[in-house]
Amino acid sequence: MTGPVDHISIERVSKRFPGVVALSGVSFGVRRGELHAICGENGAGKSTLMKILAGVITEYEGQLKLNGQTALFASTRDAEHAGVSIIHQELNLVEQLSVAANIFLGRELRNRFGWLDDAGMERAAGKLLRELECDVAPSQLVGSLRVGDQQLIEIAKALSIEAEILIMDEPTSALTESEVARLYRVIDRLRQRGVTILYISHKMDEIFRLADRITVLRDGRLVRSVERSAVTPRDITHLMVGRELEETKLGEGRTPAGTVLEVRGLSLPWPGHARAWRLKDISFSLRRGEILGIAGLMGAGRTELLECLFGAAPQPPAGEIWLDGRQVRFEHPAEAKQAGVALVTEDRKRLGLFAQMSVGQNITVCSLADMMSGGLISDRRERAAAAGEVSSLSVKTAGIDAAITTLSGGNQQKCIVGRWLLTKPKVLLLDDPTRGVDVGAKAELYRLMDRLCRQGLGIIVTSSELPELLTVSDRILVLCEGRLTGEFSRAEATEHRIMEAATDCEPASRG
Amino acid sequence: MSEPIVPARSTDSGKLTVERSMETGHSLRSRSRWLGNSAASLALAILLVAALAGAVDPLHTYFTAPVDSFLLILRPAVMLGIFALGSAIVIIAGGIDLSSGSMIAFGGTTCATIMLVLDPVGMKSGAVAYGAIAAGIAGAILVGFLIGSLHAWLITVIGLPPFIATLATLVGLRSFGRAIVELITAKMAQNRLLDQSVTQINVFDHTFRSFATNLWIPVVLFLVLAILCWMLMARTVVGRRLYALGGNEQAARLSGIRTDRLKWLAYCISAMLSAIAGILYIGDQSVADPQTLGRGYELNAIAAAVVGGCSLQGGIGSIVGVVMGCLFLRTVIDGVGRVVAGGKADVYEGMIVGVVVVFAVTFNQFRQAGAGGKRYFPGLLGWIAILTLGLFSGVLLPLIMPAYAGMGVTAVFVGLLIAIKFVESRAKSPTASTRSGAGVE
Repeated sequence: MTGPVDHISIERVSKRFPGVVALSGVSFGVRRGELHAICGENGAGKSTLMKILAGVITEYEGQLKLNGQTALFASTRDAEHAGVSIIHQELNLVEQLSVAANIFLGRELRNRFGWLDDAGMERAAGKLLRELECDVAPSQLVGSLRVGDQQLIEIAKALSIEAEILIMDEPTSALTESEVARLYRVIDRLRQRGVTILYISHKMDEIFRLADRITVLRDGRLVRSVERSAVTPRDITHLMVGRELEETKLGEGRTPAGTVLEVRGLSLPWPGHARAWRLKDISFSLRRGEILGIAGLMGAGRTELLECLFGAAPQPPAGEIWLDGRQVRFEHPAEAKQAGVALVTEDRKRLGLFAQMSVGQNITVCSLADMMSGGLISDRRERAAAAGEVSSLSVKTAGIDAAITTLSGGNQQKCIVGRWLLTKPKVLLLDDPTRGVDVGAKAELYRLMDRLCRQGLGIIVTSSELPELLTVSDRILVLCEGRLTGEFSRAEATEHRIMEAATDCEPASRG
Repeated sequence: MSEPIVPARSTDSGKLTVERSMETGHSLRSRSRWLGNSAASLALAILLVAALAGAVDPLHTYFTAPVDSFLLILRPAVMLGIFALGSAIVIIAGGIDLSSGSMIAFGGTTCATIMLVLDPVGMKSGAVAYGAIAAGIAGAILVGFLIGSLHAWLITVIGLPPFIATLATLVGLRSFGRAIVELITAKMAQNRLLDQSVTQINVFDHTFRSFATNLWIPVVLFLVLAILCWMLMARTVVGRRLYALGGNEQAARLSGIRTDRLKWLAYCISAMLSAIAGILYIGDQSVADPQTLGRGYELNAIAAAVVGGCSLQGGIGSIVGVVMGCLFLRTVIDGVGRVVAGGKADVYEGMIVGVVVVFAVTFNQFRQAGAGGKRYFPGLLGWIAILTLGLFSGVLLPLIMPAYAGMGVTAVFVGLLIAIKFVESRAKSPTASTRSGAGVE
């Protein structure tokens, strides 16, 4: 299978973390200039394999060959020298520096006096950016850019070091539809240059649109490498999970009960910004046993809306929030938690996880008050509660004492959902809960939402993937630049109508 | 799939044969536990240091009088421990308290000033009224609470970084304390309650003297405080939340944890423990001098916490570790004092604290990430580090031991470092060393 023409050949690569075998004897080849998709569920070992390729992980068993030569990277710099560049799911940019400075970070251009050649770097950066259809100024600070543009900066960086191998780890997970289309065009252009691309994704439509070949990993083992033309999306899903995945049929026969949450005229000021309002005049209600989806592009105010409901907004919002028939005004998430509102945050690593703590401690951190005996935390009760969530959410972990960082993204997400379920909430807010989560785990999360909803929980979920919202939601609200621009019932909602509402920001009563 | 597309750049295949270094996954997240093995390994280290010092010490004091030696170490260790507990709690909660030393001085001064005002005669005779003593102690602890609250206000409301907020009180409290003492005693001298104004207050009271003569008062007090702190950090919800706050403040807030209140608590605990230490110190030294009392102790406390396994990034550390850290630090100081200065440890104290902190943190990194392949003396910077360490040793050792022996030891020491450097550069691959350019990685 791994012929002499292979650009990259991975030979019997294994990697063990304490308690987890991340990769075990994986071998396959990647041909020069192809787009090779890597698929697999959470914890299948995709990210570990890519980190080995990019020199992030330097200790492993087995061999890695580039053009038939054994490659041993002692660091990411070695990998870069060898022409390998990686675009992580969590972008590695210095937000305080300009676009140009980020692109040339570590390889800064200097003029003949040895000073930094800012003008030269900006010119070069501008050229790369134009090539990528990215219309940001090279002098702009990266922190002020949208995620989609930031990602292009990473790609520009890879281009500037003339990477021959580009690894993209779920590049579309944070992008809007138009940004995705732009990314596809950029990928086409990269392929014309002969760049070999390793593309990690869970999205079948993407993989089948882009890939030449597909490699499927499961539980750290290679399942198969196949030509795209020889398989169907269904085959791949089957290979990934090792079983047929039933079409997720959700929401049938769910009957929402009385109103649990009502929002009237909610506005969130945005001091010092031209728009003045992050959110403007938003009203809606949520019923028990209902899943309310919130659609909108990046920056439409989805996260801000959830933050307002959770008392975590940067400024106090105006307007009224009624929970269970009583008006509430949360000034701190602690009050929201007390009142029965839970928020699973969007950015797991930065806003959700306690990396120093174990799986169990991460799960119990919000509900420790229920696990006391005699004023102290009862070890027995805490362990029982944590173990209960681990088993009911089927979290894949070596145990509740394992470090949370040894878990895959989807399993970490389940732990955080479990954390909030222990607080017995009435309203569960899920901010893009399936971001960076694979197909199998996504389906599990959908089923979980359905189960919780049937137990009478009111759920609000945001997502950057419309099909997902259409699958899980009873009703969908659409935000555009902080305004509510559409509301659709399950029957009315189509991708087309939602996109229309999400991109046309005139406040209107549509739907 | 058609023919592979020709790449834009031809590959310099020589570049690809980058030799694999022995580096053991330093990129892996180190897995740390709250009560790691640092306490156990510190206990072992204490015994080792004591055995070594006992063997090298010409008088072999540790072997001939082990109990007395231990008690001699115990006193400064528990005095350090009392406020190091507070420093550690702040560090675990993700902050830093630079003001402990000044707070010790200010707490002690407050206590002495209150007693002087309430019972000037008793202060002179050495028998202060119990009411005045109680008021002095209560006043000092209250001031601790207020200063801790001030820190919390500056940090959580005004938005200063903890480093700046506590740096301000570090320099501010000493001069404030001195001004208060001078102004109050001047006023009292005017009213003929005192002979003259002073800059420091003598404390001859027999109750306070007993803090100096009776070892068990500070020891028992420390044990009680340490157990309370341990219970707080290891077994209560508040403690767990302090770890969470230190580990990821944003996530803690979004988990419904009132982070501002926790910071308030942490800084108050630290300042109040420093005030308590201050009360003991003025008895210990029979004088409350706002300018010199506890000078530099904040760094000893931070060092003890770090040696005991606390991470300055927050979220990691244990009270047991801190207690062991204090004992270890004082054992090394005492041991070195015995070996080189005939029991006078204070000359070398700062030096030892510096060296121990560097070693302890290096050792911790070593244990978590492994060492294989790590170079300690790379390139030019490595040579200069060897030169600096050689100079330290070459200047100091010939002065404290026979000159020839001192130079001999220095020569062996420098030779050893150079040998390490050569072994390291051999082990490193040629590609990697060209990559490092000037050698400063």
